[in-house]
Amino acid sequence: MSRPADSHCPYCALQCAMTLTPTDAAADAAAPAVAPVTVAGRDFPTNRGGLCKKGWTSAELLRAPSRLGAPLVRGADGAFHETSWDEALDLVAASLRGIRSAHGADAVGVFGGGGLTNEKAYLLGKFARLALGTSRIDYNGRYCMSSAAAAGNRAFGVDRGLPFPLEDLDGASTILLLGTNVAETMPPFIGHLAGAQAAGGLVVVDPRRTATVRLTDDGRGLHVQPAPGTDLALLLGLIHVVIAERLVDDEYVAARTVGFDRLRRSVASWWPERVQSVTGVAAWTLRRLARRLASGEGTYILTGRGVEQHVDGTDTATAAINLALLLGLPGRAGSGYGTLTGQGNGQGGREHGQKCDQLPGYRKIVDPEARAHVARVWGVDPDVIPGPGVPAVELLQSLGQPGGVRALMVHGSNLVVSSPNVDAVRASIERLDLLVVCDFFLSETAAIADVVLPITQWAEEEGTMTSLEGRVIRRRRAITPPAGVRDELWILAELARRLECTAAFDTDPEQVFEELRLASEGGIADYSGIDYAMLDRGEAAFWPYPRGSSGTPRLFIERFAHPDGLARLIPVSVRESARPRPADDEVTLVTGRLLEHYQSGAQTRRVPELLDAQPEALASMHPATADRLGIADGDEIGVANHRGTVRVRARLTPDIRPDAVFIPFHYGDEQAANLLTSDAVDPISSMPEFKTNVVRVTRLTEAGVPA
Amino acid sequence: MSALRIVLIGYGPVGARFVEELLPSVRNGSVELTVVAGENVEAYNRVLVAEYAVGNTDLDAMLVGDRETAEEAGARVLLGVAATSIDRAAKVVRLGSGEELPYDRLVLATGSRANVPTLDGVERHRRDLASLEKYGSSLVARDDDLPEGITALRDLADAERVLEAVRDRRRIIVLGAGVLGLELALAAAHAGAQVCVVHHGPHPMPRNLDRGGGQVLRAALRRTGITVIAHSRAEAVAYRTDDDGTRRFDMLVTADGKQLRGDLLVLSCGVSPRTELATLAGLRTGVGVVVHPDLRSWTDPSIFAIGDCAQVVERTEELAGQRVLPGAPSGLIGPGWRQADWLAGALTAEAELIVAADGDDGAGSSDRSPAAAPAERESIVMLKAEHIDVVAVGDVTADPWDDDALYPRRRVSQWADPEHLRYVKMVTDDGALTGFVSVGMPRTAAELTLLFERRGELPADRSLLLRFDGPDYDPAADADAFAPTTTVCWCNGVTVGRIEESAACGNTTVECVGRDTRAGTGCGGCKGRIAEVLSRAAEPDGTPTLTA
Repeated sequence: MSRPADSHCPYCALQCAMTLTPTDAAADAAAPAVAPVTVAGRDFPTNRGGLCKKGWTSAELLRAPSRLGAPLVRGADGAFHETSWDEALDLVAASLRGIRSAHGADAVGVFGGGGLTNEKAYLLGKFARLALGTSRIDYNGRYCMSSAAAAGNRAFGVDRGLPFPLEDLDGASTILLLGTNVAETMPPFIGHLAGAQAAGGLVVVDPRRTATVRLTDDGRGLHVQPAPGTDLALLLGLIHVVIAERLVDDEYVAARTVGFDRLRRSVASWWPERVQSVTGVAAWTLRRLARRLASGEGTYILTGRGVEQHVDGTDTATAAINLALLLGLPGRAGSGYGTLTGQGNGQGGREHGQKCDQLPGYRKIVDPEARAHVARVWGVDPDVIPGPGVPAVELLQSLGQPGGVRALMVHGSNLVVSSPNVDAVRASIERLDLLVVCDFFLSETAAIADVVLPITQWAEEEGTMTSLEGRVIRRRRAITPPAGVRDELWILAELARRLECTAAFDTDPEQVFEELRLASEGGIADYSGIDYAMLDRGEAAFWPYPRGSSGTPRLFIERFAHPDGLARLIPVSVRESARPRPADDEVTLVTGRLLEHYQSGAQTRRVPELLDAQPEALASMHPATADRLGIADGDEIGVANHRGTVRVRARLTPDIRPDAVFIPFHYGDEQAANLLTSDAVDPISSMPEFKTNVVRVTRLTEAGVPA
Repeated sequence: MSALRIVLIGYGPVGARFVEELLPSVRNGSVELTVVAGENVEAYNRVLVAEYAVGNTDLDAMLVGDRETAEEAGARVLLGVAATSIDRAAKVVRLGSGEELPYDRLVLATGSRANVPTLDGVERHRRDLASLEKYGSSLVARDDDLPEGITALRDLADAERVLEAVRDRRRIIVLGAGVLGLELALAAAHAGAQVCVVHHGPHPMPRNLDRGGGQVLRAALRRTGITVIAHSRAEAVAYRTDDDGTRRFDMLVTADGKQLRGDLLVLSCGVSPRTELATLAGLRTGVGVVVHPDLRSWTDPSIFAIGDCAQVVERTEELAGQRVLPGAPSGLIGPGWRQADWLAGALTAEAELIVAADGDDGAGSSDRSPAAAPAERESIVMLKAEHIDVVAVGDVTADPWDDDALYPRRRVSQWADPEHLRYVKMVTDDGALTGFVSVGMPRTAAELTLLFERRGELPADRSLLLRFDGPDYDPAADADAFAPTTTVCWCNGVTVGRIEESAACGNTTVECVGRDTRAGTGCGGCKGRIAEVLSRAAEPDGTPTLTA
């Protein structure tokens, strides 16, 4: 029996530390359905030894009966057949070559994920640009972090989710959470809210009364419950009050920012009473909140997907940043602004080349110097590296279209559950000549693929992840993977070889990381000073970490990352036309998450304990709304718009506003909330609108037709 | 290519919004825009004048117009220059500076001025056509000069006067109990001034509130230390002479003989549109400049009016012959902005057509009539004040027990708690809100505001809306902390029931329960609660839970 391995949880960006101890079953690959490791929480600054339900049960997936054990190729009979790896890879390579020569390099696309290790994400970007020669690569982070990233980049010149260690929150007296339900999405996080709770200063902005909102009960804080889609107006109102009541940190604004005058004019017309009529939040609540935020005793403003996953998500995140800058929070000890990255490696995954417009180190693919640097590391001519591609939604819309992508490789993503307007995505995928999916299980997307390649899970592989704090941490191998599965690094190397790519594709994670260090050197997200040995010694490594430095736990102490060192205050405004208003018989659909499930549920719906707790998608609606529609608790209902219909049961709760209905998006098929979401995107970040889609709700009869 | 020459008179918040919306056309050269601003300050948000008047905010925070951007785009902005007349035949605007501005389209956004009521001892000007023709441009764009110690509250100079009195904690008499007067009274009282409100109606905000709401508001005002004198018509003012020889306000005398002494009299008796330019130019005016629903003057199709100076009336043969026309400007900013947006859009479209016609003198074809600007619903009135929350809209005179055959679907619900200064009345027609009053219930008011704006249907149980303001507000069905379904450990989704079950199986310590159920093994924040559940479970006669 091998030794315990110190690793981190396979799920969210909190990356709780855990120790994996192999059990007797580890040696016996044939032992079915018995977890080959036990999981224990490990002391670490973020989770302090704790784990949530998802983390505790994570080992159950290693030997889950539904785990794939050999490559699957769809035969002429339309069914999947197990094949050897050589056969599968030969087939994929031959198809890719054929499609490429017939339709050009951009006819092959790659869709990555925010759960991939840094090494995989880096190598996937390199594989797309060099082995495939395509510009068509993007990833599911486009659905999570892109708005916050765009807002951070334009305001600060850098996008690191939390520009400070998570522990800094412990000393805060006021924490404003905008559109994030951490009590369910990353529960051990809430330990860091205790200080603010004790000071009565935990403020949660959410149209739902979530588990996180309950943390504000009993005088521990405040729940602000705006109508869905009005977050931007709310923030403009807060900025208005801060300016009108002279709560601005004038010295800080003068010394560290530019753009105040225009910003001030842009919010002069958002006085609290006007904001009240748009958001449903009382004017006095707004004033009280603004004063509390400005009380100067340690204030943090944190945003989540609730305010970012909108067609005006970048502007909304920008407004939150403007508010933080006016109060002098970023870069000041004991205060700050941050965005809570969601996916396990959502931070690292957005830094090293999975994004369509990006090269490793958070470099811009259109920047000639960046291209020259990366080309040198890759040993190619800069001209060989393709230019910018297109963001996720556009990439998917192009599938099978003239001039579009005809073959798609999917890594760490379950497109037909997590993408907006799922029916349209399914239709796009059907137009493809080839869909290759790498996954542990036959996810909804793998199930419609032509080739499925089974891959290793977290406990079976080495690598690094970058947590929501911008801290690089080690994922370590505890057990040997099952015989039939392969690491994605190996798959990419094998395909590159078959595609006769001469660039190096290492299969050893440490060697890939060494290459990533070089490629990121001098970039915004500079990893060049980090190596496996120091991570293995437990050193805390926050990027940027240039060679010879000791890293950057706290950004912005002295300067922001723009060349002049100043932060940008960028005026933003509410676009009335941004989203349709619900008609009388319609409500607003809000999508979101549950404690028990992660992302598309491809993993967590296969853990019996998690599935038993939340076996199906339930639509939460207010009793008053249900009463009006003749719906009782537990009734089968149809939630529909012109994009599709979701069939679920109703759960009546006063925890949601009467003008909204909530459906978690973790489920597939006819319960997929994203059947209803719009693929309209934010003009800057290309983030789709996940949070405010207009729907009609009807009770269904037993036959499944509207009553 | 001929650019459409637009002259805008007035650079208040509505004018500024119009400019902002027109900038793309100014940039691309299809519109040539000149703004005659009048006041020598940039456009500011008048909604905040009361705040400014008590020192709660600075002028900087009130500026809305971005003159720099407008000028960068190519617009000409003339600050401190007034328009003195319009020559419609020549299509030019004459300025105080002697300059003449030719226009293809003229937009009036001249706003309104504070009313000066008839008071013995205070002079005021008439601005009918005869007076205007007699005194000419000396009356245009000028407000009445009030004696020392008397001020309106409309512009920054007025606000400065009030500010001085507030800073010195003087005694301020506010004449009028409309929204603006009350806002000032409350803000000044909050800032430490002694304030007395005099009005002739039965209760404050008589135009907006029903009797119940008005009475509760009056009680609330009194509780803040403001003296409220109702049923009193102001008749005269008396003066005293200061040591330095200045004659200044001394007291207000009411029709029933009350003599109210004070240091400053603030007139808050409503506003009237500034229509003198239009009147002199021979445009039809009523309360304001009379315009069609497309904001075009009844008299001259090249001239438009928006905001506080515009009286929108659909022209019919019958109405055209009448002396008094229905309607009046709302006096609120929201409708003005919507008019500005809409007119800028219509003129942008017109300018682009002209450019497309390339040289064709399209500017003359002014009979091309764009569709009407969106009809305005009644605007919500909110009293902006620190400790009193009043929101009202619509006709709220109906009572719950009224049986009006004209409105068979009308329903009225009401909640009155005068002792705690709370009052709500909701008037619906077929379930949708047509009017409401809310006093002292801010969260309820916020929800009602939103429902009214969105024309949403009220919940069948109206009391749902009242509960938001309860001190014990907790909509959760499982508010009972020890109900079996109440979650104790959020990290692991463990309920009270599950912990009790575990305890029954012999897990009697927090650690044992943690091993069995994982409760407390996440962030650890719930360990205290687990211990509580365990100690209750250990009591043989544990207090029964509400749901068990």
